[in-house]
Amino acid sequence: MPKSDLADEMKAEVQQAGPVDLLLGISGSVNVTELQGQAPSLLERAGISGAVIAYPDAGGREALDSDSNASAAGFIPYSLTGSDPATLPWVVSSAAQKAICSLAVDLSAKACVVLHGDLKMLSVERLQTLTQAIREKQCDLVLPIYQSRKFDGLLNHGILAPLARALYGQRVRYPLAQDFGCSARMFHKLSELTGGRERGDGSLLWPATHAAMTSYQVCQAIVDVHHQAQTEGLELSTILMSLVGSVFAEMETYAPYWQRVRNSQPTATYGNAAQQTSDGEPVDAKPLVESFVLGSRNLQEIWSLVLPPVTLLELKKLSRCPPESFRMPDELWVRIIYDFALAYRLRTINRGHLMGALTPLYLGWVASYVQEVVARSPLAAEQRFEQLARAYEEGKSYLVSRWRWPDRFNP
Amino acid sequence: MWQQIEESLRESMGRVFTKIATLLPGILAFVLVLIIFLVIAWLAAMLVRWVLMAVKFDERTSSGTSTLTEWTPLHTPTILVTRIVFWSFVTIGVLVGVSAFEAASAESGISAYIFAYVPRVIGAAILLFFGTVIGRFLSRSVLISAVNLNLQYARLLATGVRWLVFVLTAAMVLDHLAIGGGIVDLAFGILFGGIVLALALAVGLGSRDLVSRSLEREAHRPVEAPVEEKLHHF
Repeated sequence: MPKSDLADEMKAEVQQAGPVDLLLGISGSVNVTELQGQAPSLLERAGISGAVIAYPDAGGREALDSDSNASAAGFIPYSLTGSDPATLPWVVSSAAQKAICSLAVDLSAKACVVLHGDLKMLSVERLQTLTQAIREKQCDLVLPIYQSRKFDGLLNHGILAPLARALYGQRVRYPLAQDFGCSARMFHKLSELTGGRERGDGSLLWPATHAAMTSYQVCQAIVDVHHQAQTEGLELSTILMSLVGSVFAEMETYAPYWQRVRNSQPTATYGNAAQQTSDGEPVDAKPLVESFVLGSRNLQEIWSLVLPPVTLLELKKLSRCPPESFRMPDELWVRIIYDFALAYRLRTINRGHLMGALTPLYLGWVASYVQEVVARSPLAAEQRFEQLARAYEEGKSYLVSRWRWPDRFNP
Repeated sequence: MWQQIEESLRESMGRVFTKIATLLPGILAFVLVLIIFLVIAWLAAMLVRWVLMAVKFDERTSSGTSTLTEWTPLHTPTILVTRIVFWSFVTIGVLVGVSAFEAASAESGISAYIFAYVPRVIGAAILLFFGTVIGRFLSRSVLISAVNLNLQYARLLATGVRWLVFVLTAAMVLDHLAIGGGIVDLAFGILFGGIVLALALAVGLGSRDLVSRSLEREAHRPVEAPVEEKLHHF
């Protein structure tokens, strides 16, 4: 069992104060003064006792001790690996989440809640939603369903969520959640991951995947929060490499499991679903289509190493479509993702090149989605994602077949 | 007079035929040895291929962080090892053939010269291999990056990078083989200098107006407030 870097004397100090009912961990840089000011009274109002708050160490322990509010709830710092500014934000966040889970194990906590560093989730209602699902509904993992607009989180809706659903059979809206709550056995499971190859190599934490594989109870809580991802200055191919590459890497590791999963199971969802999705501003799809066409003109040679001839033919036909009638069928998009996953596993080409070659295809899918839902209601856009997720599930037999017999003739 | 010419021709013909007759056993020995070693090379390559496929060599080598297939997608590790084995046997065959030729034809010094040249050939082959691999890899990197930056001349840029590396590799290989001497260095210098000069002239003269207009536009552009992105991938 991997241990956190918590000093023995601090651990003893915390445990002397009483059993830890809840470890509230902040995954990412946080305004410590703000946290110190808000958290104790907020936990009190939420009726949560025996809570310990863990925050990433930035040399601020002395500042905490000087404040009287710190006595209402214990504050402990933890060191955050991979907090280099060049590291991608979700990699830092995942490292912090793993560290918090290890800390929860060390403190023998009964439950653990991980929150994003922007503290948007730090409110009485939201904390209650997460903790009650663990305590009263016996959920092992509570993942939030964030408020989103039609054109938000497209990478999540187009690849991450439906792929995770098809692979591991758990219908989760945000598999790479920035906030989550988990039971003792769940954080024990997640903390075990920190001891292996996952630590410090830029890999991400996919709690829903591990919960699904261990048949732990997964729940979702609807929250009216929208985190702003710090992706300014990052190239889309870098984001794809990090996020989609991580899913593909997990696929490689857990292939024996997901090949046996047949259908997905609905996930219990709590909270008020009203006004969850708001209408986004209209987006011009023409530049996206142009990026796809440019890719189609120049990357045929690379795509042909990854995609079968039928897919290439369909992509060629698509590239000749006028921008206003540009539509990428779900089946085609699903096959593309599955073929790229296989190429990632087989290392058909350099993985950086592979994700770079996926970028124009992803932009093509985004263009198609944008044009399709631009005139539709937010609810219809949600249904569109559901339709795509079903296409992923229906196409899974293609993935399993290609995964098992990659050398078999594939027209 | 005619008799002397006829005698001289007969003597020279006789010398040539004698020389051919002296060399023929050596040439035959060379060809025979080469054929034998080609057969051995083919058999050894097949055996190695069969063994590597049986032990799933490709799968084992692809489990590392960076593998050969990532650099050269058309060459699996098995194919590479098989080819190395094949060409090693062929090289040994050539060397044995040269020795046999020398022994059979009593021409001294040939094998010593060729044996001394072999390390250079091997070095040149390694240079050529890595040059080709690096050229392809860089070309692909440039192509993908340029496409993702929406550059219309992405393919041109990638082809340019590929040929730049190939030309550099060719110059290094010829220099290593000591072929061409100073001519290769000179030609390479002229070619590279010419390309850079041509590009500088093209940008400096051909795009002068474009650059000045672009600079003027930048200077007079009002400071714009950042526009909020309407589309969020993550």
